[in-house]
Parts: sequence; structure tokens; C-alpha cells
Amino acid sequence: MRSILVAFWLAFLFLPFKGPKAALMLFAVVLIIVSSWTYLKRRGRTLREKVFPRINALRAMSLSGKRLSLAQCGLLLFLIAVPFFAGDYVLDVAILCGIYIILALGLNVVVGFAGLLNLGFAAFYAIGAYSYALLNVRLGLGFWESLPVCLLITTISGFVLAVPALRLRGDYLAIVTLGFGEIIRLVLNNWDSFTNGPNGISEIAPPRVYGLSLGGLDKYYFVTLAAVILSYIVVKRVRLSKMGRAWIAMREDEIGASSVGINITMYKLYSFAFGAFWAGVAGALFAAKMRFVSPDSFTFMESVLMLCMVILGGLGSIAGVILGAVVLVALPEALREVQSYRMLALGAGLILMMIFRPQGLFGGARK
Amino acid sequence: MLFQQIINGLTVGGVYALIALGYTMVYGILELINFAHGEIYMLGAYLGIILFGFFTSVGLTSHSLALSFALTIALSVLFCSAYGFTVERIAYKPLRNAPRLSPLISAIGVSIFLQNYVMLTQGATDKVFPDLLGSAGFDLLGARITYLQVLIIGVSFLLMLALHLYVTKTRMGKAMRAVAQDKVMASLVGINVDSVISVTFIIGSGLAAVAGIMVAMYYGLVNYFIGYIAGIKAFTAAVLGGIGSIPGAMFGGIFLGLIESLGASYISSEYKDAYAFAVLIVILLIRPAGIFGKSTEEKV
Amino acid sequence: MKRFQMTAVFIFSLVVIVFAGCQKKAETIKVGVAGPMTGDQAKMGTDFKNGVTLAVEEWNSKGGVLGKKLDIVIADDQHDPKQAVATANKLVNEGVIGVIGHFNSNCSIPASDVYSRAGIPMITPGTTNPQLTEKGYRGVFRVCGRDDQQGRVAAEFVTDKLRLRRIAIIHDKTTYGQGLADEFKNFVADKAEVVYYGGIIQGDKDFKTVLTAIREKKPELIYFGGIYPEAGLLVKQARELGMTVPFMSGDGTIDPKFVEIAGAGAAEGTYLTFGPDPKNIPQAKTFIENYSRRFGEIGPYSIYAYDAANILFTAIKESNSTDGKAIMEKLHSSEFPGAMGNIRFDEKGDVTVSPFVVWITRDGKFVEYWRPGK
Repeated sequence: MRSILVAFWLAFLFLPFKGPKAALMLFAVVLIIVSSWTYLKRRGRTLREKVFPRINALRAMSLSGKRLSLAQCGLLLFLIAVPFFAGDYVLDVAILCGIYIILALGLNVVVGFAGLLNLGFAAFYAIGAYSYALLNVRLGLGFWESLPVCLLITTISGFVLAVPALRLRGDYLAIVTLGFGEIIRLVLNNWDSFTNGPNGISEIAPPRVYGLSLGGLDKYYFVTLAAVILSYIVVKRVRLSKMGRAWIAMREDEIGASSVGINITMYKLYSFAFGAFWAGVAGALFAAKMRFVSPDSFTFMESVLMLCMVILGGLGSIAGVILGAVVLVALPEALREVQSYRMLALGAGLILMMIFRPQGLFGGARK
Repeated sequence: MLFQQIINGLTVGGVYALIALGYTMVYGILELINFAHGEIYMLGAYLGIILFGFFTSVGLTSHSLALSFALTIALSVLFCSAYGFTVERIAYKPLRNAPRLSPLISAIGVSIFLQNYVMLTQGATDKVFPDLLGSAGFDLLGARITYLQVLIIGVSFLLMLALHLYVTKTRMGKAMRAVAQDKVMASLVGINVDSVISVTFIIGSGLAAVAGIMVAMYYGLVNYFIGYIAGIKAFTAAVLGGIGSIPGAMFGGIFLGLIESLGASYISSEYKDAYAFAVLIVILLIRPAGIFGKSTEEKV
Repeated sequence: MKRFQMTAVFIFSLVVIVFAGCQKKAETIKVGVAGPMTGDQAKMGTDFKNGVTLAVEEWNSKGGVLGKKLDIVIADDQHDPKQAVATANKLVNEGVIGVIGHFNSNCSIPASDVYSRAGIPMITPGTTNPQLTEKGYRGVFRVCGRDDQQGRVAAEFVTDKLRLRRIAIIHDKTTYGQGLADEFKNFVADKAEVVYYGGIIQGDKDFKTVLTAIREKKPELIYFGGIYPEAGLLVKQARELGMTVPFMSGDGTIDPKFVEIAGAGAAEGTYLTFGPDPKNIPQAKTFIENYSRRFGEIGPYSIYAYDAANILFTAIKESNSTDGKAIMEKLHSSEFPGAMGNIRFDEKGDVTVSPFVVWITRDGKFVEYWRPGK
């Protein structure tokens, strides 16, 4: 009875948007799903009982670390070997994956470790990309000379945004970061004399080493790979350091953390700046890879996509976040034909994830 | 020119205010930024076009324009309320005791889902609402005002007044305020908290639906992403007035509409969208409780 | 634990192999069609796809090119520059001989880098931004005109034909819209006064504020650089504000939706610059018949896509080669008959004869109105 009601209700909602025939189909589908709900529930329990503990066990082991080295070496060798057998398209996707992994790792520091929801992370990404683009095109600086300046600028912008963050609670903070992201994009789009407005900046030079251009996809792949490995190691180290533990403590209980002497204000600042730093790395990599930047690449949807990577993989879990980034970049490429359903599934995925597994696929349960 | 810009601002501001009411009511009760509220407004605009098109195709519009219009509005409000109710049941209710960020992320999920749901079922191209009144209007103090503008400003004020009376005078309205103050106490004195929350979502969505239809008529053009920017602006309006406060949302909406209109004409129209965000950030930094809101200490 | 890592490695390699497996050896001659196939500009992409499909079908029924059948690979850039680069790489990877596309300026420009690096010719049916062919690439061509040509024709029309002296200019802050508005401004500024110049936000719905500001300046014509949804709303809202001043816009506005959004009454008399009407071109007769029989209504860019495809195939046939360089040289040196008339490319890859004419909106339809130099 209940299942008929639910199916009827959803079909009713669907009716005006796609007509009676589609609504009837939806009715049938929902009816079947809901009436086999008990079965699904049992399956759900097995899933939860059998699969989740195994994932958790894997996590525990991957955190303990030492025995991994062999498998890690294998993975590394494989990744190094990729350009020797893969075509340009695969490399292109792989580089994009790498850039998003760095972004997701950076956002994870803010959202996952420190528990501050940032909905405007694309702004830092944009600042990084535009810094390199402008330094290169306007001042003629090369990639390696501009990179430190670029990272300095993004880190400082992280600090600047963190100032309002200190005063605001969770959801207000989220909205302010969103506003910040939109303002940055609007400025990039409208400040024609400086950013070239909507036309974007083209002819950005790829990095060079001893006069050798690293612009080819196979060479650029290694630049990205190196950056990904570096970010992975650094973020992992920081996670285990005093700062990382302070962030976690702050996330779990702000008042408790401050009572044991953690300077909440400073650690919030650090987390924003540290996250922004990695967005700057990703931005510079992106600009040098595309050799073209325009404001269109840094919309709110981009911020949401990064957030989805972090949440899908598991807030605070480094391996999970990497996996989340790879899945969300590579999967739509593999399934280009059904890409229009990607965002629909992503939206539904976020809801389901929050309800059934808020810690993400690979996140650990919170204690 | 100033008077014309004020009229332009009031029209847009009235729409913001209607949407802002939904944000402020939900926030007042659940302390949740219902990120998906803008999408409900978008659904309202789409439903207006779909239903009006349906009544036109069965010949009701040519028979009686007023009837088909009334039916369109009534059914759109009904459907949108149903959507609001369903969204709350599916995406927010299970998370009522979860950490604060969970329902917000879930709301972002709902927003993305509804946008793409409409895009997939109704197509990605713009939908056009038939032009009924044309550019008919009158001149007043050197400004040109269309009848639709008068209708939008009038309907917005009437609905706000009605809502204000509902919340202050009726039994359900009082229950809402009780739940907003303290959920546990409210349930102890016999208020059904779940149904109060449902009613809040239903009313908020209904108001958003009215805003959606009026906008569809006014601009004559609707697409699946209008909800995002309108939602953000309405939220800004709610924060501006003091989130949780109903008169605050009305004031904030009108005020924001005027800021945008005057800013776009006297400063730069290219930064129009940035004004809302700039105002939002400034307000949150200077007076996080908003103009009408009371600041509350965070509970430990 | 190891099992987990090994599984991860296994899955990853599987993904890579699947991707790599997509590179098949060519039995057919592949051509890419790139444009916005999904999203709010999907209609333009569909026009491209249909135009090229028609050309391919016609060639294949005559036995293909160089004894091989032609095959289309469709690439959806979603009018996003990042996607455009990704899809361009994908097309290159699939071994296409040439590409018909892209539509948006901000997609064509970065994608042209990719094609040029790979030595593949690209012919765009719709990108009018001058920057595209100013980069000095040998393999970039367009069968439509350039915005500087378009801006000049519009300016000539306004100052010489209509003899107007007070002009307001609005653009939508996109590469295309602002580029076109700037070109128009350059040419019109000699003979008329630009009383207002400013941008609006693409996707916004309320332009009454900006129009109210313009109304104060009492212009004799409002020129808009942008595409049809904003153009329609601008015209509609200007009429609502009691403004009767004529409107003019470019090729991005020539879409039936423009009239639908503005309302036939408000849109009446709006001037547009675009290529000549195919109905007035004798060579286009067969195209119009075949296209409408196969796909229904002809979109504004269908004929350009069809011509671009035919030119590419002819160049392949005449150079007797599938080598990109040989095809590019052929494209530069020959004259090609097309449904829009004969086409010849200059050194930059632009068409030698500027194709723009002025259209007017009459009773909700677009009709050709004025040709420059007459």
C-alpha cells in the first residue's frame, strides 16, 4: 500500500514535466523498487555489514602504511609507464585527472581536515591560473620563475578570504566563500584592460627545462605526475603533523579544541592558506597545459565539482579524495554518451551519500 | 530616470522578497540554508509555462483566459508545494540530527538534481511564455510602468501581508514560531514538529511558485538555471534583513532590488551580479544578524 | 591489503587499456564535427551535424573520397573552452583527417592550437571572431565572415544608409559579443557619436536598468553585440519602457527564437547582419530541397556546415591525399564551388569575399534588406 502511494506521488510530481506516458513508466519503476524495498533493505544491510567493514579495514591498513611500499612502487612504475603506450587523448585525461587530484587534496584540507565548507574554491584555482598566465604573457616570466610568485599570490588570497571566515559559523561561511568565488569570476570577466575579459589569455608558454619545452602531452604528463606525488606526500605529512591534528580537533569540537590551547583563529587561517596554495599549483598547471585561460573555466559548478570529489571520496581521507577526483574526471570521459545524466547522478549521489554514508566511500567513521 | 529605476528595482525586489521568505522561514525553523529553494522557484516558472501551454492546447485559454490563468497559478502552486514537501522528506528529514554541514551538502545535491532534471525533461533551450499583455502600461512622473509591473509589486505585497497575518494570528503560525524558538519544548507542549516543518516547506514553496510564474510572465523567458542566481540573491536578501525574520526578508528583498537597479545604472551594469555578493559579504562582516535579526549566542 | 592495491592497479590499467583500445586503424576517412551538441546552444551544434551529415551522405552515395567511405566523428564541446581542447585532442586521437567546427569563438581559438599542432585542417562554419585566423596557422579556415567585416557592414548601413548620428552600443561580455560590438564601435565612431557603451551579463533577464540609462541619452539606434536570448529580452523590455528606437544586432541574433522572445510586435524592424539568404542564391536550391527533406527546417548555420564539409572533401579529393599539409595547401590555392556561391580562401584562411548583408525583421520573419556598396 505504502509503495503504491510513494510511486503514485513521485509519478504525480513527474507528470507535468514529461507527460502521462513517462509518468506511468516512472510509476511502474518506482513501484517495483519500493515494493522490493525490504529485499533491498536486507541487501543494504549485507552491503553495510560486508562491504563497508572491508573498506574500513583496507583504510586502516593503508593508514598503517609500511607494507605498502611494494604496491606503491608498482603503481608508480605503472604511472610512469603510461605515456609509453597511451595516446594523446588518454594523456590529456590523465593530466586533467592530476590537476583535479591536486585541487581535491587542497580543498580536502579546508573541508575535510578543518571542517570549513568552502563553496568558492574555484576562485583560488582561477587566481593561480591567471597569475601564471599574466606573469608569463605580460612580463615574459617562465613557468618556474612565476610559480613561486603565483603560489605566494594564491596563498595570500587564501589568508585574505580567511579573515571573514574567522567570524562566521559553518553555513554563513559557505555562502561568503560562494560570493567570493563569484566576485572573483566577475572581476576576471570585466576587468578587460588587465585580464583581457571574456576573451581570456592565450599563447601561454608551457614550462621549459634547459631550453627543452615540456609542452608535449607526454612530457607534461610527468610534470603533472610529479606535482601530484609531491602534493600527496606533503598533504599526508601535514595531516599527521601537529597542525593536521589541531585541524581535526577543531573540526570535531571547536570549543573543546580551544580549551586545550589550540589557537582556533590561526589554524583556520592556516587551513585556508594551505588549501589555496594547492589550488594555486593546480591553477598554474592548468594554465600551462591549456595555454589558454578564460573566466568560463572557473564557475560555481567547478567549485561544486571539486566539493563532490572530496565528499564522494570521503571527507578527510587522502586516498579517498584522490579516488573521488579520478572517478569524477575519468568516468564521464569514458561514458561521454550518457554525460547529460552525469550531473543528475551527481546531485542524487550527494543526497544519498549524506544520508547513508556521510563519511564518503573511503572516509573513516568519525569517532 | 531615478523614479523609473526605483520602479524597476521594486519589481525585481518584490520577486526576491517572495523567494527570500522561503529561505527565512526554513532557516528560522531548521537553521538550514535550503539551497534548493531557488530551484523550486525555477520549477514554478516552468510549471507556469507548461500548464498554460496545456490549457491553451485544449482550448481553455481561448474560451476563458481568466479561468485558464487561475488554474495555471493554482496548479503550479500545488505542484511546487508538493515538490517542496517531497524534497524535505527525502533530503532533509533523515539528516535532522546529522552534523550541520550534511543537510547543506544534501541541499546542494537537491539543487543540482532538480536543475538537471528539468534540463533533461524540458530541454536545455530557453522556454518562452506567450506574451499576453504586450508592453501595455501607463506613464507616471516620467516613468513608464507596465501593468505587469504593477501586478508583480501588488501581488508580492499582498502575499507578504497574508503571510505575516498567518504567522502572527493563526494556530499553525504560532506553532511555527514556537518550533523556531525551541524544537524540544515545542514538542513537549504537544506541537507536532514534523508537520510544522512540512507546512513551512509547503508555504515557502508555494510563494516561490508564485514568484516563478510572475517572472515567467514578466520576462517571457525561462531556462533551467534561473533558479541558482535568483536563489543566491534571495538568500542575500534574507540575510540582509536578518535571517529568520519575515519582515526582514521582505525589506531585504526590496532593498536588494533597489541596490541592483541603482548600482547597475549609476555604477556599472557589467558588475550587476556582484552587488548582491558584495552587500552580502559586507553585511555578514559588519552585522551578521542582519538589519532586523537578533544576534544569538551559539549554543555549546 | 596488497590485494586492494593490486585491484586498484588492475582497474586503473583496465581503464587505460579500454581508452587505448579506442584507437582503431582507419578503414574509412574520418572527419570530425565539433560544436555545442548538448546544452543551451545544442541547436547550433545540431545544425553543424546535419549540414555535414548531408554532405557526407551525398559523397558516400557517389562512392566516397579516394575510394574510401567518409565517416563522421561527433565531438561535443558544450561551448566550454576546456571541453573544446579535450574534444579536440580526442578527435586528433581518433585519427580524423579534418575538422568542421567549432562554433563559439572561445572554443575555436584554443582548439585551433590542438589541430595545428597535429597538422589537421579545421574549417569553422560559424566562428566570426577575427582572432581565430590572426594566429598565423596554416590550417585554420572559416567559411563565414569576420566580425570586423560584419561590424563594418553594420556601421556603413547605420551611417550611410540610415544616416543616424547618435548610437548606443551594448554587448554581452562574451568573446563574440564584445568583439563584434568593439568592431562596430570602431567603424561607426568616425561618422556618428557613440552615446552609450556598456556590457550586460549573459544569462541575466532584467535589462530595464541599463535600458533606462540608455533612454536618457536619446540614441537613434541601439546596437547589440550578443546572441538571441538577450537580444530578444532587450528589444522586448525597451518597448515596455516606451522606447521606439530601432535595434540592430549581428549573426548571433538571427534565430526564430529571437522573435518569439521579443514578441513579433517588438521585434518588428530590427536590423541584423548575416550572410545572404540562401533562397536568393541559385546554387543553394538543391541544398535547400535536400536538407529540408532530410532534416526539416534549415538552421542559420546548416548551409555553412554543408559548404565547409564539401570544401574539405573536395580538397582531399583534388590533393589526392589524406595528408593534412597537402590538404591545407589545396585549401589555400583553389576555388571551391559551394551552395553559398564560389569560395576562395586568402592567406589567413578567411573567405576573400565578405559575405555580410543586412537583414530586417518583418512580420516575425527575417528578410534580406540591404547589400553593402549599393
